Amino acid sequence: MMLSKQSEQFLIELRMYLISKGKNDEEINEITEELEDHLLEAQAAGKDISHIIGKSPKEYMKSIGNSMKTDFRQMMVIIPMMIFLVAAYFSIGPAIEGKFALSGTILWLAFAGGVMGILAYGILLFKVIPKFYHSVWGYVIAGVIALLVTGAGVVLLLWYRDQEATTVFVASSLQNNLIVAACIIIFIASALYSKSWVSIVIPIFVAIGPLANRFLPKEINEDPVFMIMTVIVLVLVSALGSYFIWRKYRKTSSQ
Amino acid sequence: MADTTQMLKGILDGCLLAIINEGETYGYELAAKLESYGFQSFSEGTIYPLLLRMQREKLVTATLRKSTAGPKRKYYTLTEKGRHELGEFIQRWEQLSASVEHVLNKGEIDR
Repeated sequence: MMLSKQSEQFLIELRMYLISKGKNDEEINEITEELEDHLLEAQAAGKDISHIIGKSPKEYMKSIGNSMKTDFRQMMVIIPMMIFLVAAYFSIGPAIEGKFALSGTILWLAFAGGVMGILAYGILLFKVIPKFYHSVWGYVIAGVIALLVTGAGVVLLLWYRDQEATTVFVASSLQNNLIVAACIIIFIASALYSKSWVSIVIPIFVAIGPLANRFLPKEINEDPVFMIMTVIVLVLVSALGSYFIWRKYRKTSSQ
Repeated sequence: MADTTQMLKGILDGCLLAIINEGETYGYELAAKLESYGFQSFSEGTIYPLLLRMQREKLVTATLRKSTAGPKRKYYTLTEKGRHELGEFIQRWEQLSASVEHVLNKGEIDR
């Protein structure tokens, strides 16, 4: 028996609400599974979802959140992890190209960009996506916003490249390689921690450009045919990848 | 009948303890039993915040077990502390209901 769309929607909103309130992952899984079980049985008995969660889902979510303790230890891991991740995203490209350098401006930029990025994605993940969980338009809007935010970041970085900034630190080639290694460790650690491939897949895409810059001969690198082919291959790979992730997700969520 | 939700607060805890005391049970069954005892106007989900709190206060313990269909099911049993709390609830309730009874019937308790 499948859970009704309304119930599924409620469980997603509840999960996101509890995550955003810093509750323990394991406890979140337990309570959502318990409610899923209850909703399934209630549905089989012909009861409406409001019979279980009351008239205001929001109030009900709050009452559940209030009876769970906030997991500060987990937050102590997540917040530094986010900061390291943002730093790693910023650093891996330049470090692969052997051009890692720090200036006052880039530090501020990374800080401001990081904070805004986390805020924007946080709102998107916890407030916007749960609301549109079942509508195609929701995905389109979320996708466009994500692209815009990422695009704004790229524009900012390109703008920064043209600025004359006084560098406070320029990495040697050994240091560049060490930074790359550190970034890889951060990405793997965060993938293991979050049990998702996201922080492996995105860095691979981020790293392709700089890798090509570093290892491909200049003639090939500037050949337009080669560039177009790369773009086509990348688009195909990412489309296939998203399709498989989507299919896997549909399977697990309908179990 | 007017909203009984406010009145139920505090009483539901004790009733849950009493039902769990009858034997190991899980969320949906608990709610169904409450309904069968006459609690009709409450939303079933209200038991979960209470169960979460009772677990935190070590009044009940929970074990996850595979269910016939769907996700794993969480079964609750009463702890020693829970049984003690249930005893106290019964005492409090008897006093309270007697007092309310007296008020409503305008009777007075001999002191």
